[in-house]
Amino acid sequence: MTLQIPLPEDRSRPEPASPWRRVSYLMRVNSADPTLLLGLALLAVFAYLILAPVLLLLADAVTVHFADTARTRQELGAFTLYYLNRVLLSPIARDLFWWPLANTAIISAGAIAIAFLVGGPIGWLLARTDLIGKKWLSTALLVPYMLPSWTFALAWLTLFKNRTTGGLPGWMETFGVTPPDWLAYGALPIALILALHYAPFVILLFGNALKQFDTQLEDSARSLGASPLDVAHKIILPLMLPSLISAATLIFAKCLGDFGVAYVLGVPVGFDVLATSLFRAISTSQTGASAVLAGVIVLLGTFSILIDMRLLKEAKRFVTIGSKGAMVRATSLGKWQTPAFLWALAVFTFSAGIPLVALALTTVMRVPGAFSLDNFTLNYWIGTELGTTALRQGILLTGEFWLALWNTVWMVGLAALGAGVLGLLVGYAVVRSPVRFVSVALRQVTFLPYLVPGIAFAAAYLSMFAVPRPPLPALYGTPVILVLAILADQMPFASRAGIASMMQLGREPEEAGQIVGAGWLRRMRSIVLPIQRGALVSAILLPFISGIKGLSLVVVLAVPGTDLLTTYAIRLVDYGYSQAANAVVLMLCVVAFTGTMLVQKIGRANLSDGMGSK
Amino acid sequence: MSSITLENIRKTYGRGGPAAIGDLSMAIGKSEFLCLLGPSGCGKTTTLRMIAGLEHPTGGRILVDGEPIVSVADGVFTVPEKRNMGLVFQNYALWPHMTIRENVAFGLKLRKTPAAERDATVERVMTKLGIARYAARYPAELSGGQQQRVALARMLALNPSVILLDEPLSNLDAKLRLEMRAELKRIHAEAGSTIVFVTHDQWEAMTLATTIAVMSEGELQQVGTPDDIYERPANRFVAEFVGSLPINIVERGEAQSGPLHGWVDRLLAHFAIDGTQVASAGIRPEAVRLADLDEAAAARCAAGRGTIVDIVPTGGSWIVELDVDGSRFFAIATENPRKAAGETTHFWVERQHLHLFDRDRNRIAL
Repeated sequence: MTLQIPLPEDRSRPEPASPWRRVSYLMRVNSADPTLLLGLALLAVFAYLILAPVLLLLADAVTVHFADTARTRQELGAFTLYYLNRVLLSPIARDLFWWPLANTAIISAGAIAIAFLVGGPIGWLLARTDLIGKKWLSTALLVPYMLPSWTFALAWLTLFKNRTTGGLPGWMETFGVTPPDWLAYGALPIALILALHYAPFVILLFGNALKQFDTQLEDSARSLGASPLDVAHKIILPLMLPSLISAATLIFAKCLGDFGVAYVLGVPVGFDVLATSLFRAISTSQTGASAVLAGVIVLLGTFSILIDMRLLKEAKRFVTIGSKGAMVRATSLGKWQTPAFLWALAVFTFSAGIPLVALALTTVMRVPGAFSLDNFTLNYWIGTELGTTALRQGILLTGEFWLALWNTVWMVGLAALGAGVLGLLVGYAVVRSPVRFVSVALRQVTFLPYLVPGIAFAAAYLSMFAVPRPPLPALYGTPVILVLAILADQMPFASRAGIASMMQLGREPEEAGQIVGAGWLRRMRSIVLPIQRGALVSAILLPFISGIKGLSLVVVLAVPGTDLLTTYAIRLVDYGYSQAANAVVLMLCVVAFTGTMLVQKIGRANLSDGMGSK
Repeated sequence: MSSITLENIRKTYGRGGPAAIGDLSMAIGKSEFLCLLGPSGCGKTTTLRMIAGLEHPTGGRILVDGEPIVSVADGVFTVPEKRNMGLVFQNYALWPHMTIRENVAFGLKLRKTPAAERDATVERVMTKLGIARYAARYPAELSGGQQQRVALARMLALNPSVILLDEPLSNLDAKLRLEMRAELKRIHAEAGSTIVFVTHDQWEAMTLATTIAVMSEGELQQVGTPDDIYERPANRFVAEFVGSLPINIVERGEAQSGPLHGWVDRLLAHFAIDGTQVASAGIRPEAVRLADLDEAAAARCAAGRGTIVDIVPTGGSWIVELDVDGSRFFAIATENPRKAAGETTHFWVERQHLHLFDRDRNRIAL
């Protein structure tokens, strides 16, 4: 055995390597590991798919468009304040912007208030009491969020529609009561429906915060002589505040971009919100004005999310303090058990049960709300010769329906698959990139769509892809624009999921592969992806579900040939075919609901993880 | 079996960051069983990973059998998957989605070894390490010791020219450590492989390695056999780092003029050592002799006298804590001292057990 000695001759320190030798050395080092290349490639892809559309949209707001060269007396593409002036200050600004803004504010405030009144107590009941049927209720009460929000708008219309608008009468009307306009349309029903749809935010966020809240903090305050009121006011409220404000800002951001509810319940009576005003601007080809409106929505959305992120950071700081040896004690409800349960059940009934049953019944009734036997029919599902002008047969026999269903499955499916895989790759690049700039930039670019409400993002996609953008040709009217938009829109969730699961993986399994001789591709194929299989499944399924029910994003981008279930249903609503529309919506609910249940069964992912995604 | 040479290896993290490895040169002979020993953060794992190729040096060369696999100045870097080295990770890094058999066979599959030969090799290695009956299980179903055997089997199946181990015994209980130690020794003896392992645990280093390289703060402190390291520590760091109970250090600075200081002076005079260069002295607790002596005998071996503070039985030996006029001094008695706290005793040390260090904390050879 050779006894070895440190090399005695210190070879007078090797001369520093020449710069190009150093570069060639670093290239060789990195040839083992194309992570940086992958990161840069992904950055380029998302700069093209996310950053460029949003920037173009913002640019559209301040540059002259072809149709307005005469009006502005400026060159095409010159810088102008014409659109800002038109949207914000001109005589039509009131109808185009200020009233919709006020309406948006009113329904958001209303929705937040109602969601808190409904969701807050339920959050507490589910998190901190011995409520019976807790397990079942905690899934059942989230059902409204699993379904598209405007589904409930259609259900509302089914029940309360009055003679102000055309088409079939609502149930109330059939019963002989004409609901007043303020009940049938406008701010009240919109706020109420948005509130019930987004109440699960409050239930989950507030409930989770309560779950982490250490009872010992309460106890120690009590033992120091604080009254229960003091405790609630000075201990619980400050600690819960971040979660409450977080829920409020999230609901606000969602209401801002929610198009469907206001479209169904507001537009028929001239009640506009920012999202519907933007939709009208887009559909009447006012590119500049729609860019300004979308820009405002983006600004408001960004603002609210930034507030939320700030508060979440604070909340994390609180949790670290509170979580050591946390004790959670379930409050016994005692004689309040039955009333509490009945109340939770009532919330479920109103927010999910009645709307869904009403929708389902409508699809099998000739005249809505008339409960006589001869009024029931399956014709709207499977009938022929209905005697209507356009849709002469039941929905299940209609080619457009199956086309829309097929489009939904393959387009959303492809987009979700792409988002899931790209999300995992983004996660890999973010976690492993040797250059910090690449991981930070990648993380932020993929998060950007989260700040842009769906309808504004769609407007951005129109700005970007209505004309050829090398290497892609003009995409409007093709399925490609839908797939790309849905994919990009789902990236915030997909990349978050990817980053989280890559963080957990650690480097060693891959390094072990390297040591036994596996190159990068082989490591990805045989080690990284198989280990992340579960994460990948949920990173594909959750965007799929959320993409299926999304309307705001696709309503602008879809044309009759590329209809999805959501846009097809809205088209039927426009034509006044309520039964058919409701039948389509019901099918959509079935798909979305089974999908969600499937994901929860498969595990690893639950709805609260997916909540961030639109 | 290959020889490995590190030449002026430097490693810094980030631009202009502090050096993790300052300027490391070392030659590892064929069939050597070398241990990189040092406290956490001393750069030993970084060194191991640089040999494996999982980290790249910022300067210097690494040669295997005289051929450079890394040379920063010449732009040479062999990627880890081409180095044919075996590495066992501290946490084993088994692939959780593959069965034990698949884990062991993966490398051979990559090399496109014919199926029959591959199966035979996998079977042989698994049988040798006693994990053949778990072949169809997944890593999560195995205990820590079994997982480690799988990690070893996965590495051995490829018959690597160099074996690298990261803290190979650290996650095992006492019995498994002994078994695994024997296993590693056997692998080394049978295959004659060059083995490099890192550890912060001196027991692991002493019991396994033929050569130990002690590192601290990215610098090599001493390279030698386990006996060298223990009996002739090159400097204060090595002396203080090695030894299950820390070595007793007596500073001879001007400020120190305590009773131990006086005792060391007496020792130097007694052994006729020129003490002018001596800045500190070290005596291992296990070298200290304890007994009650008469005055003549005490003078004959320049014994000191201390009060027993505490006696801790450790099963077969006793740690005796002495108070020598306010200074603490530890001894290990191999026979029961049969004394109680508060009683006094003489203590002395033989010449070959006295370690002396100069102002630069380097060993003064006697």
